Amino acid sequence: MRKTISIILLSIVAVGMSLSLAKVPFGQPKTKVGQRYIDKGVEETGAVNIVTSVVVSYRGFDTLGEVTVLFIAATGLGAVLKIGKREAAAIEPASFVLRTGCRVLFPLILVFGSYIFIHGHLTPGGGFQGGAIVASAFVLIYLGCRERRISETASTTLESLGGLVFVVAGLIGLAVGGYFLLNFVPKGQPYSLLSAGIIPVIYIAIGFKVGSELAGIIDNLIEEST
Amino acid sequence: MVDPVLLIAVPLALAFAIPALSLFSKRAAKFVPPIALSFNLVLSLLLLPRVLESPVIVSIGGWQPPFCINLVVGPVGILFSVIIAFVGLLVSIYAVDYIKERATEKYHTLYLLLLTGATGVVLTGDIFNLFVFFEILCISSYALVAYTGEKAGIESAVKYLIQGAVGSSLLLIGIGLLYGLFGTLNMADIAQQIESVSPISVFVPMVLIITGLGVEAAIFPLNAWLPDAHSSAPSSISAILSGIAIEVGLYAVVRVLFTIFGASSILLFLAFLGILTLLIGEMCAFSQNNIKRMLAYSSIGQIGLIVFALAMATSYAVTGGLFQLVSHTLSKALLFLAVGYMIYRTGSLDISALEGIGKTMPLTSLGFAIGAFSLVGLPPFTGFPSKFLIVRAALATKESLFIVLIGLALLGTVIEGAYFFRVVQVLYFKAGKNNPERKEAPVAALIPIVVFMILIIAIGMYPKLITGVLNSAASELLNRMDYIKSVLG
Amino acid sequence: MSFLENYAFYIGAFGLILIGLYVILVKHNLIKVIIGLAVLDTGVNLFLISVGYITEGTAPIFSGSETDGQQMVDPVPQALVLTAIVIGVAVLALALSLAIRLYHHYGTLNLREIREQKW
Repeated sequence: MRKTISIILLSIVAVGMSLSLAKVPFGQPKTKVGQRYIDKGVEETGAVNIVTSVVVSYRGFDTLGEVTVLFIAATGLGAVLKIGKREAAAIEPASFVLRTGCRVLFPLILVFGSYIFIHGHLTPGGGFQGGAIVASAFVLIYLGCRERRISETASTTLESLGGLVFVVAGLIGLAVGGYFLLNFVPKGQPYSLLSAGIIPVIYIAIGFKVGSELAGIIDNLIEEST
Repeated sequence: MVDPVLLIAVPLALAFAIPALSLFSKRAAKFVPPIALSFNLVLSLLLLPRVLESPVIVSIGGWQPPFCINLVVGPVGILFSVIIAFVGLLVSIYAVDYIKERATEKYHTLYLLLLTGATGVVLTGDIFNLFVFFEILCISSYALVAYTGEKAGIESAVKYLIQGAVGSSLLLIGIGLLYGLFGTLNMADIAQQIESVSPISVFVPMVLIITGLGVEAAIFPLNAWLPDAHSSAPSSISAILSGIAIEVGLYAVVRVLFTIFGASSILLFLAFLGILTLLIGEMCAFSQNNIKRMLAYSSIGQIGLIVFALAMATSYAVTGGLFQLVSHTLSKALLFLAVGYMIYRTGSLDISALEGIGKTMPLTSLGFAIGAFSLVGLPPFTGFPSKFLIVRAALATKESLFIVLIGLALLGTVIEGAYFFRVVQVLYFKAGKNNPERKEAPVAALIPIVVFMILIIAIGMYPKLITGVLNSAASELLNRMDYIKSVLG
Repeated sequence: MSFLENYAFYIGAFGLILIGLYVILVKHNLIKVIIGLAVLDTGVNLFLISVGYITEGTAPIFSGSETDGQQMVDPVPQALVLTAIVIGVAVLALALSLAIRLYHHYGTLNLREIREQKW
């Protein structure tokens, strides 16, 4: 009964969506907004990765909201799962290959993740991508050296600092130039590391924040299940 | 000249700072939301005179619209911003004593972020930005409903989350279709270009977006999550959810419908849905024994009435709808705050357990009674002018359909009166325990209750206090051409 | 045939969306519903990116070489999807934590049996 109703409902949805999609041709250039970002992006923001300039500069307010959403999820998860201490169960250590491999790979993955979020304005990638890679390094540590945990004070401080740097950068832009999130640092030469004004600073802050937040989420979930 | 971006940026910065602050001092976290919200309240009141003359357009990042995100602070936006800051401030004072166990700094962080998300939704002028702030609002409310960690809370939070997440995905599909059709995400720009395509091709995005936003706005049949969520959350959160979150969802629906789509074909359907929601809500509330569930169904009923008023789309009707929204926020918040301590003292959610509380907690019960009478629409309270305005607007349209519908709405009001009077009777006229000693709620809880009571009576007796703002707000919603011109020039 | 290769991305994205919605509506196990939510999110993100595709376009990154003159795809949907993926991850993380607590309280994840709230 429930299945037939859902199939009828979904076929109505499918018909509606395909009718509307007929008006959105695939592969045609359709926007003036996108074209302008491509044409003027490098000279207006200084970043050669146009997606980065859209994410941080043209639509930076959305990125601020996105950082906030991740923060809410990490906080909510901590509030729901932390129901008091439980005694630590005996943890079976991992095999020798896994333990050594994790110790060798951990710094390499950290460096790779940091490379991605530092060079966000030059190569594909950015703060969120680099932060996720850094968090996966910590997941590797949980798999390999199972008794280690992240220090909670370090992760909370990094989280707060990352978010605050982003908002304060915007507020300084407001104080200096009259617009929130104005790119007030001189833009430098394109293609070099120290270019694009405030964009690398914001992406580094986001990288730290996302990395510590995702690692904190994994930490809470693992604590709950042992 | 103050910049409206500070209304969002400052609470956000303070909310990010709470975890670091609580590393030093565990007790400091509960004072941060009142500070942030009083800042918001003062700033909104300072902006109010300027906004009533002409809307303030703020571009973010230094670019010009439509190549950037912009905030449009018009009379509607500033009205909502003042309400959010004011109600949020009072409930956060209430929560100073009410939230005691578990990790309290997480509660205050989530609370402040919920209100920041709500402020962002009402002030933004870009549809993807609306989606992002809407998600901030929704996800904080999922986490806060589950805050107590009890069985009922977790179950309600799961059901709320699944329905809300499906709604958000539908909203995102609608936004994607709009971008594919028009190539821009700015609300004024889309509104300008909407005439250039056939109505059939914008029908599907419109339905998807309204369904997605309607889950949070609690329009029938998308409101199955509401009774569970509002009754199992902590009472201060129920006050915020019933008083702010569903109203902001309704604002988003109305903004999209009136300003972007300018649709008149779907408004009749929405008026029907509104009256249907009203009747179902009131009838279910009548049969409840659990007091918080009764209040939650009453919220559904009131939202139905507001949807009906806004869907009539005349200037009287929209003013009446916005007035009803304000009075519902104030009254429902007062009701939930009063009920919170009553439940805490008696330890049970049943209406019959509240016998005789009128003598042991006189001020709190008076607050409940005033909130109840205001919601029903009795004269010296704020519910009366708002309902009167809606009835007058319906009669002024001179269409027999609306007259029939407003008759049904008045029937709903009678049912509402019945169940609220039953509770007031239990409070005051049933003898309670044999030895009633007066054990009132703590001071931190009484301050918000008294302030709400005074405000309800004041607006009820002098509605001219806010009708000026409401009239400008109604005309902003109904005139899309002025909106487009003020943003794009 | 050319219709299919033109619209393959749209068909794929909508297929994922419909499968995700079907799983959420019909299945009883909470973990399956959460997986359906993840599939729905993936479908929506795929749809958003394919709206921005321009035929024969390349990635919108300048590299100082001779390929800089040609057509680039629209960068705005990519920024939108970046935000949407992160929001989807946040919702899934919260949903999983709630599922863990729900199992702790009820001992089962069958949504038919978790009906404590009466009418």
